This record gives sequence, structure tokens and C-alpha cells, in this order.
Amino acid sequence: MKHRLWLALGLITLGLLAGCASTGPQRDINDPTNSLVFGYIDMDDAPTSVSSAWLTQVAPPSDMPYWGLGVNKGLFYNSYLPPGSYQLSKLGGSGFFAGQHEYGFPRQGSKTALRIAKPGIYFLGSFKYKKVKSGMFEQAKFSIEKINKPTEAELLKRILDEDSEVKNSAWGNKIRARLAQLKS
Amino acid sequence: MIPRRGLLATRARLLAANLLLLGALSACVGAAREPVDSLSELGGGETVVVGRVELVPALRKDEQKIKGLNSSSFENKVFLIADEHYRVLKEEPVMADYAGRIEAILGKNFFVRSNSKPFFILGGMLYLDLGGREMNRAYFPGGLKVSIKPGEKAVYVGTLQYHRNEFFEITKVAVVDDYERATAEFKKKFGVKYPLRKALLTPAK
Repeated sequence: MKHRLWLALGLITLGLLAGCASTGPQRDINDPTNSLVFGYIDMDDAPTSVSSAWLTQVAPPSDMPYWGLGVNKGLFYNSYLPPGSYQLSKLGGSGFFAGQHEYGFPRQGSKTALRIAKPGIYFLGSFKYKKVKSGMFEQAKFSIEKINKPTEAELLKRILDEDSEVKNSAWGNKIRARLAQLKS
Repeated sequence: MIPRRGLLATRARLLAANLLLLGALSACVGAAREPVDSLSELGGGETVVVGRVELVPALRKDEQKIKGLNSSSFENKVFLIADEHYRVLKEEPVMADYAGRIEAILGKNFFVRSNSKPFFILGGMLYLDLGGREMNRAYFPGGLKVSIKPGEKAVYVGTLQYHRNEFFEITKVAVVDDYERATAEFKKKFGVKYPLRKALLTPAK
């Protein structure tokens, strides 16, 4: 019984770690060509919260274009993206009543896209999920709108507070420098 | 944007929807303007419209992902939404808007049958993902007029170039005069009995 409890706790911990660790292609977190890309989505009006998020690399062409993002309470980020052009392509989540959901973003447009020309810290923005009216026989639709809160600084502080791997990597100092820049 | 629920059920629904759409666009949505192989096919009040659509830069391998039996009907193809009545498409086009469309293979001249009346290009659409788990389309601006005079057999409207970035945002629309190449292909295909009149696309308003 005790072992089972530990097993259960272990599985829960693994699940939580999986929830906030990035997936997809992996690179050394201290690679000097890395960029940190982050953003936030408020899913209060959505059927589920978000537990996974993906960026698609649209340029340069890649055989492995999907980059997983770490997700924690609306905050999403990846700390090892190489230079290129990216679009937020998919969010995923599940709820007890709602089941498993995927939220796909259109490939045309740059509302949730960015170009990384040189390594650095890039804020994709804070967004809010909005339900869009659809017909009785249509699939449910949604849109996202940009919001002012949380700010870039608030989210960077969260990354430092919540991810010790990032905090203890080369990103720690870079994030602190960016926070100082945002304050001044 | 569409949230997808219950992944297995969702995949089945999406597949069914995609198949329906594949079937619909390739079969029973109002017909496209037919390609013309011989000018003798044309009726009295009909004209062959010649032109071309290009993406700049061109579609890269893997930028378009079409899966399914009927994939060749959608690959590398822009659906130009055309109507004799000018209007501005304010929302995503519906099935009815595609009646009378021109199906243009990117980078190749089209030769399609039309009534000998002016008409308008209201917009365009290209499938980016179709037949798999995702369905994504890119839309292109219209607002262009095709000027056809009564009685003429063949009209050249130009090369409609859509310049775009990596996010499929249209950065520039140009109508390029590529008449020499088009007329050479026209003569090879239809002979020299009828001239190909140059009437490049113009702004609708």
C-alpha cells in the first residue's frame, strides 16, 4: 500500500514535470544561439485550461518543425529556440467534464508569430481565449485577443521563480538584465 | 480557430468533414469555370479567359500538406472566387461563393470558359492543410475586374502575383503583363484563327 502511494506520488510528479517541461527537438539550454520565447494565455472562458503548447517553425525549413513549450498556469515558454520564424500552432488541455481538447491556430497571419533574427528574449504577448458564436451544425470556434496583463516583466519573474533549470542557466542573468531594462 | 474535443472522436469528425469538403469542392459546389481545350467548344456568348496566378516566393515543399485520394485536385491550386456582381467578401467565403471559380494551378496558365461578360475576382483561397488532422486555408485579396467585350473569343488577363511572407500574409499584389508567353501557348493550343486580346486585370472600383 505504501509502495503504491509512492508510485502514485511519483507518477503525479512526473506528470507535473511533463506539464511544464518543453518537448520536441532538444538543445543545450546554454547554447549561445538560443532564444527564450514566452507568452501567456488566459483560458478562463475556454472549456479547459492549457497543459501543452506548440510552436511551428515556418522558416528556415525543418524536418522537425514542431517545438514544444513548457506550460504552467497560462505561462508558456521555450528557452532553446534557434533563429528562425515561428508561429504558435496548437494548445492542448483536458478537463474532467470537457475531456481532451486541442486548440489549433491558423497558419495564415502573424498575430501569434515571431521572427528571431538574433538570439535574445522574445515576448509573444499575453492573450485571452474568446469563444466565437457558431451555427448549430458548425464546429465550435474561438479567437484570441491580446491583453495587457500579465506584462512581460511579470512573466519573466514567474519563469525565474518557477523554473530552477532556467534560473540556474545562462538565462538567469539575461532575464535579470531584461527585467532591469524593463524597469528603467 | 476551432477547438477540437475528445481527440479520437474529433479525428473521425475532422476526417469526415474533410472528406465531405474534398468531395463537395471537387464535385457538387457550384461548378468551376471549365478548362477549354478547343475554341470550337465555345458557345456563341462565350469567351476563353487566359491568365496565371503566382505566389512570390513560390510554395516550398511541405508548406502545403494535402492528404487523401483526391489530393491532386487541391495541390498547388488557388481557387479564385469570381462573380459577375462585384462585392467585397467581408467574412470567410462560404461554399456558394465558390460557384464560378477559376481553379488556377500556381505558375501555369489557365484557359477557362466564361460568359462573354465582365466579371470580378473577389478573392482567392489555397488549402495549406487538408485531409489530415488539420485543415488550414490561406486567403488572398480580390477586388479585380476582368473586362470582356461581347463577341470576343479570347482574353488575356495577366499574371496575378501574390507576394507573401512566411506567415502567408500578402505583402503585395501585382498584375504582371506576360502576354508574349501566354500568346505563344495560346497559339500552340488553339491555333491562330482567333487573336488573344490583352485586357489585364484592373481594380474593380
